[in-house]
Amino acid sequence: MTIEEGVKYVAAAYAIILAVLVVYYFMSARRVSALRRDVEALEDEAKRRRAPAGEAGAE
Amino acid sequence: MKKLLSAPALFAGAGIFLIVGLLLAFWWAPTDASSMGFSQKIFFYHAPIAETALVAFGVAFVAAIAYLRTQDLRWDRLGYVSIRLGLLFSVLVMLTGMIWGKAAWDTWWAWEPRLTTFLLVCFLYVAYWVLRSVVDEEQRRATYAAVFAIIAFIDVPITFFATRFLPEGLHPVVIQAGDSGMEGRMLTSFLISMLGMTLLLAALIRRDLEIEDLRDRVTDLKTSLGG
Repeated sequence: MTIEEGVKYVAAAYAIILAVLVVYYFMSARRVSALRRDVEALEDEAKRRRAPAGEAGAE
Repeated sequence: MKKLLSAPALFAGAGIFLIVGLLLAFWWAPTDASSMGFSQKIFFYHAPIAETALVAFGVAFVAAIAYLRTQDLRWDRLGYVSIRLGLLFSVLVMLTGMIWGKAAWDTWWAWEPRLTTFLLVCFLYVAYWVLRSVVDEEQRRATYAAVFAIIAFIDVPITFFATRFLPEGLHPVVIQAGDSGMEGRMLTSFLISMLGMTLLLAALIRRDLEIEDLRDRVTDLKTSLGG
């Protein structure tokens, strides 16, 4: 098979591999950032709720 | 050492090796002299991805044994994440293999030993997911999943050796005991890509484990806050 004949197959194969891997990489990176934000927000909320309870306990 | 094994470091290493492997495959390694010709260039990522998929299933197999011995759910999580990534790599192997098959043998698919056993591996690990989704109780789900992962792994060496035991199939046997079956520059390019894919698998496993840990943390916090 010559380069001219094979190039479309080779290009298609590498395009699929790189597209899938790059998309998966960025999707998982976004997922990590979103979850970290959720954890931070929930921890802040937990702290806020504990603070008045602590103040009430001190009184 | 810990920094070297962090997900960003592993991703960086994987990226470097994969790019170098690709450049060498196209601009340094000679074009295959057989009837495959230029289409053989697909091999330099296709084969490492296939090996990496089997490595991922191997990790899941080891994790399953470790879970059954220790009942530690972290092993269950490692197995689950490895199988998810193994399936991702398997889909890539199937797709690129079909494209290569069309280019080299003018057929998208053939029911020959390597392809059939690899498809069976994919079906088995899809069944693993189905199994996990129907069991609610965490510890029981992990036990069933571990037993299934061990049984499913039996097909992995069968797939690997299918072309060696049944050589009449279409799929070529490239690497054999004592003979890489490749010209030196081809072998170097292949090994560099192989290392890159393995590092990529390690990086993705680390990141997916982090995602699962964070998900648990979110669930715990929501529960403690009353939903």
